[in-house]
Amino acid sequence: MEKRKTVFVEGSISSNFIASSIEKHQTKTTIGAHNFFLGQVRADQIEGKIVQAIDYSAYQEMAEDKFYEIQEATLTKFDLTSLHIYHSIGKVEVGEICLFVLVSAAHRRVTFDALEYLVDTIKKEVPIFGKEIFEDETHTWKVNN
Amino acid sequence: MKLKVLYFGMIAEAVNCKEEEISLQPGSTVEQLSNLLISKYEKLNDLSFNIAVNKEILNQNIPINSNSEIALLPPFAGG
Repeated sequence: MEKRKTVFVEGSISSNFIASSIEKHQTKTTIGAHNFFLGQVRADQIEGKIVQAIDYSAYQEMAEDKFYEIQEATLTKFDLTSLHIYHSIGKVEVGEICLFVLVSAAHRRVTFDALEYLVDTIKKEVPIFGKEIFEDETHTWKVNN
Repeated sequence: MKLKVLYFGMIAEAVNCKEEEISLQPGSTVEQLSNLLISKYEKLNDLSFNIAVNKEILNQNIPINSNSEIALLPPFAGG
């Protein structure tokens, strides 16, 4: 069985992590286009209270299975050189990055389509849950549209 | 048969538990399990959730095998 990459990152995803992930592709010289998506925690206002952070949890084993299925399906559907998905687990403050999806290919067109498909599918199919924490320590639960 | 049932997110909060063992008649379906849990935890009536059997969300009419791992999953919030 193919070795699976770890998707979950404890806490927020740093700009250094993102930069070094992109830099690692410099040796793959068939690549002509990278495209990436960054999800950032938004300070939503809900019933008069402002979100300060999201505490992410997951049904981790199922989530890892789903991430793997989504990666395989994307590589079958689109002509990509590589793709990477990283998602936070645990607490991420507003303004910090919680999702990083990177797709790479010889030419740009396919990267736009593949990226949209990946992000939409991740949001719909992966069992990740988000507790939105307010300033006063109360919370609500985030639901994807 | 005994099943391991996992609860996540707002569901875990509502039932005040992350994991427990539930006894169920052999051959019971996902729907029957769902009804049993709703009668045990009234709060589940007001919440939206899917049931995963061995990490797959199955049709409500499918019988559950013994030794299955069950999970109650509230709406997803990834990304």
